[in-house]
Amino acid sequence: MTLHSLNAMLVSGIVLGSFYAIMASGLSLIWTTLGIFNFAHGVFMALGAYVAWTLSDAAGLNLWLGASIAFAVASVCALGILTERLVIRPFYGERNMLLVTTMTTLAVMMFLEKGIQLLWGPRLKQIRPVASGDVTVLGVTISAHEAFVVCLAPVLLFGLWGFLRLTRTGRGIRAVGQNAQAARLIGINVPAMFAITFALSAGMAALTGILLGSVRLMTPGLGSEPLIKALIIVIFGGLGSLGGTIGAAYVIGMLEAFLIINIGMYWTPSTMFLLLILTLLVRPQGLFGKAVH
Amino acid sequence: MRKPLSTNSLLLALVVVAALAVPFVVQDSYWRHLFIIAFIYAIVASNWDLSLGYAGIFNFGHIAFFGIGVYVTGLAAKLLGMDPWVAMAFGGLAASLAGALVALPVLRLKGIYVILVTFAFSQFVLQLVLSQSDVTGGTQGLVRIPTISAFGYNFLRDQRFGYYYVALALLVASTVFLRLLVGSNFGMSLRALRDNEDYALARGIPTGMQRLKVLVASAFFTGVAGGFYATYLRVASPEVFGFSTVALVLSMVLVGGISTIYGPIAAAVLLTLGTESLVHFAGMNESRFMLVAVLMLVILLFFPRGLASLLTKTRPSKGAAAGETGRVNIAGNEASP
Repeated sequence: MTLHSLNAMLVSGIVLGSFYAIMASGLSLIWTTLGIFNFAHGVFMALGAYVAWTLSDAAGLNLWLGASIAFAVASVCALGILTERLVIRPFYGERNMLLVTTMTTLAVMMFLEKGIQLLWGPRLKQIRPVASGDVTVLGVTISAHEAFVVCLAPVLLFGLWGFLRLTRTGRGIRAVGQNAQAARLIGINVPAMFAITFALSAGMAALTGILLGSVRLMTPGLGSEPLIKALIIVIFGGLGSLGGTIGAAYVIGMLEAFLIINIGMYWTPSTMFLLLILTLLVRPQGLFGKAVH
Repeated sequence: MRKPLSTNSLLLALVVVAALAVPFVVQDSYWRHLFIIAFIYAIVASNWDLSLGYAGIFNFGHIAFFGIGVYVTGLAAKLLGMDPWVAMAFGGLAASLAGALVALPVLRLKGIYVILVTFAFSQFVLQLVLSQSDVTGGTQGLVRIPTISAFGYNFLRDQRFGYYYVALALLVASTVFLRLLVGSNFGMSLRALRDNEDYALARGIPTGMQRLKVLVASAFFTGVAGGFYATYLRVASPEVFGFSTVALVLSMVLVGGISTIYGPIAAAVLLTLGTESLVHFAGMNESRFMLVAVLMLVILLFFPRGLASLLTKTRPSKGAAAGETGRVNIAGNEASP
């Protein structure tokens, strides 16, 4: 492997990893706090992208891109709260909550995906990139938009980490994740924490979707493939640890870049799934996770 | 010991007779097509009910068994020139084999991990299909799969007359198989494991073995149904692995009621015919799936045991009289199983 192809692998691995980290941390946050898996996460991404596209690019409403991104993220946050309220909360504390919420979030996914198709039609769309032009890093050229994402991801994740560590609400969310009953006993508003968690997670999904919408062509199913990737990442990182998820996002990004260069585009996805299944067989708690009983 | 023929079996016989008569009433090729598709979904949904409902395994790779049946049959019939009938059986066996493979990680895992690994498995199969595009046709799908025929009679002729009965026969065979299975000691041990795993283990029920068996069993007819689907539509498309198919079949299992077998079958027929008849209204092509999603949520929120629970709730008032007549008229006609 020459130095240049090594660099190319590193750079594209970091670009992929940055996207994955923003996306998967939202999924992981819901899992650690509510103990459920949100299958609507992918469609939240698509919805964010479509709303932002409508505001920034569609005829008539040529708003400043930043404002439309903010509005799209905010509206998906609100939708996240609504989803929690309508299809998650009624089942909280039930014995088979995990299974039921898997089904309800799948139903939400189906509803929103078809809804997007109905509202925006099947025509492919693309959002204007946040920054135009190219950037050369280590002799490898990437678009300025991708460079922006690479810089944004650590800021965002550090912000999330700080929020969970340092603020009262953030600590409340972590307390609820560890023991909802005890958290309620010491006066934490558990339902409010759930709603905030869902809003945060949905917002991060929307942001990933918007950022992806400039790199790829937008379809209503924009989020399904990334959702599967996020699923792999969350498992690799070990459920229940945000740090593990973020680490895994970059590891998987690197691994994917490595596989694409060495075995080609076609074999990469199936090899990754095979690796995932093998990982689960050997270490069900994930690569960085601690064994839970 | 002899047991009186219950209203349920009478009802069942009526349903089968009605289903046999449908092609004589429904001459329209499009409606027959809907029935055939409904029967295929009914097989997939009711077999899923076995692993999800009775065994309580959070298997979200069930649709992959169907997809494996579709592709194995399609490839065997088209590329290896295998007789489509044999290829269909082959599809079922391949799906069962996949069931055994997926059981390996499932045996060691619990809860969310089972959901995740089975989802991952179905995506793995999808990616495998997509990556081998020179064999499978990739995203374009596999086209021109040979149809089934017997003694020179193509089953697509006479407005799909033959296909209708093959679909019905498969559904009946699958249902009989499932009912026998859930009523057997094996079926009871599954429910014991689902409801109280520790106690069932203590009574000597081998968890791993039962899970392996149930996944293999639930995969077989699902794979055969997939094979039938391939020879019927003559195309194998990677879309069968999508989240939408999963959500649609899942809605059938839920609407019909988990752990009933008959419920998902009824729901599959009703939902397929119901949603398809909505297509004719303008703009309903996407929104019918939105309706299905809403229906699924309503069921989960308000009737967690499915629509079948509505029937059982009303039974004591109505059923007493019906049971009485059943006992008087046809007492002792059926040997107890």
